[in-house]
Amino acid sequence: MGETDEALMRAVRGGELSHLAALFDRYHLVLFGFLTRMTGSRHVAEDLVQEVFLRILKYRATFRDDARFETWIYRIARNARVDYVAKRREEEPLGEEISELLAGGPGPDDEIERERDVVLLQTALLRLREDRRELIVLARYQEMKHEAIADLLGVDTGTVKVRIHRAMKELRDTFLRLVERPPCDAKTSRRNPSII
Amino acid sequence: MRCEDIPAKSFDYLAGALGEAERREVESHLVSCSACRVEFDGLSQTWMKLGKLPAMAPDSAAMRARFKTLLVESSTPMPAMSLTDRPALKRLSDTVREFGDGDHQGIASETYQPGARFVRNTLGGWIRRHAGIRPALQACVALLLVLVGIQVGRQTVPPRSAEVHELSQEVGELRQMVILSLMQQQSAVERLKGVNWSNQLDRPSNDIVAALIDSLMNDPNVNVRMASIDALKRFAERENVKAATLQALSSQTSPLVQMALIDFMVETRDRGSIDEMRRLSSDHSVDQTVRSRAVWGIDQLEST
Repeated sequence: MGETDEALMRAVRGGELSHLAALFDRYHLVLFGFLTRMTGSRHVAEDLVQEVFLRILKYRATFRDDARFETWIYRIARNARVDYVAKRREEEPLGEEISELLAGGPGPDDEIERERDVVLLQTALLRLREDRRELIVLARYQEMKHEAIADLLGVDTGTVKVRIHRAMKELRDTFLRLVERPPCDAKTSRRNPSII
Repeated sequence: MRCEDIPAKSFDYLAGALGEAERREVESHLVSCSACRVEFDGLSQTWMKLGKLPAMAPDSAAMRARFKTLLVESSTPMPAMSLTDRPALKRLSDTVREFGDGDHQGIASETYQPGARFVRNTLGGWIRRHAGIRPALQACVALLLVLVGIQVGRQTVPPRSAEVHELSQEVGELRQMVILSLMQQQSAVERLKGVNWSNQLDRPSNDIVAALIDSLMNDPNVNVRMASIDALKRFAERENVKAATLQALSSQTSPLVQMALIDFMVETRDRGSIDEMRRLSSDHSVDQTVRSRAVWGIDQLEST
């Protein structure tokens, strides 16, 4: 199957819904990665991936001929997450599962500090403002090019570069503050309302 | 290169995305400017550390299974959807759809603007809380308005009975379509709403009854299955409902659903269920409360 994402999506738009399976194969793990980094919850990310594909089916007619599929699907994923956060805030705070990643007994001494750094950096990342965290996630984990991020966010490439730089500075400052005064446990970020 | 140029170049530099000439310029600046060098070193260390954060593992098989269900559901047209072939009904249904999707119109051209998003969310939240923007509720409000309109029309203008009758019929059909649609939603709350609303239909179609049976047999949510049992009571005389509830009594394993089914059998005086209740009452793998209820149900049915 050498068809482009866009060709597959145009087929889906035309009613050949089975082509969405190929797009699911190509994108569900990518989206899962993006959404777990953004939400800190595997279960929420899995639900949101499902929601993204549901929205694709629902709004398939709005996919334009000149659109890039990757940008479009990320846009839907971002909207789905924002809607989820807005709804969630009206209901109850979400417990996050970052600590699950770091569970396990203490390792050798030389690993403890490294594990602590991982915990603190993860905490710092989740404490960032959502739009800044999103920039870092897109650039670092999704390996999205600055031009693609600019397209997604509707800003120019230079702005994206400067914003990533600012976001990274803030991340580092937060991380260093946490190193100086570490939180009581890895679940500290749960108390932060900016984290879903 | 000046210090203020570094922020826009640093991550391209780290990603190896700069051309040879630009890369040298950055390096040359970092050598000559200690402030930029310290900042760059710190940021590059953080960038590298980010790469070491563990990633969560998805349950890919479960995700794929859910997606397949979604695709199958979307590929299967709802029986009542053919109703939209009728022009007047299609117009009404388009209106309902427009209401429902209004919040998402233009999704393809939407850009992320936190401020605008905030306003939209805040305003959206306000409207949801105060005006009920959810599609299902909108559909109901729209239907209610249409019905009120018909009633007012009857009071104020000479009745044109044939047209009114047709419109009224179409409204009824639209209402059934909304209910069927709700019963196919992913959200259990929506499905529950669909099942409960089916009680309000004057003349439910066979599609509604079939959908209720399907919910009873297959819905993953216990509350939806129990609500389906209640909704099926008024169709208890139908053979397919009798057969389905009897089958459900033998196949359902949730004690709550089993108890509701026993009550259903007693209430609808279905003596054909006595054998199945006997089996339940003597099956030690069945919850004790259910077994006692089955004994009670047998007594009730045999005493009449």
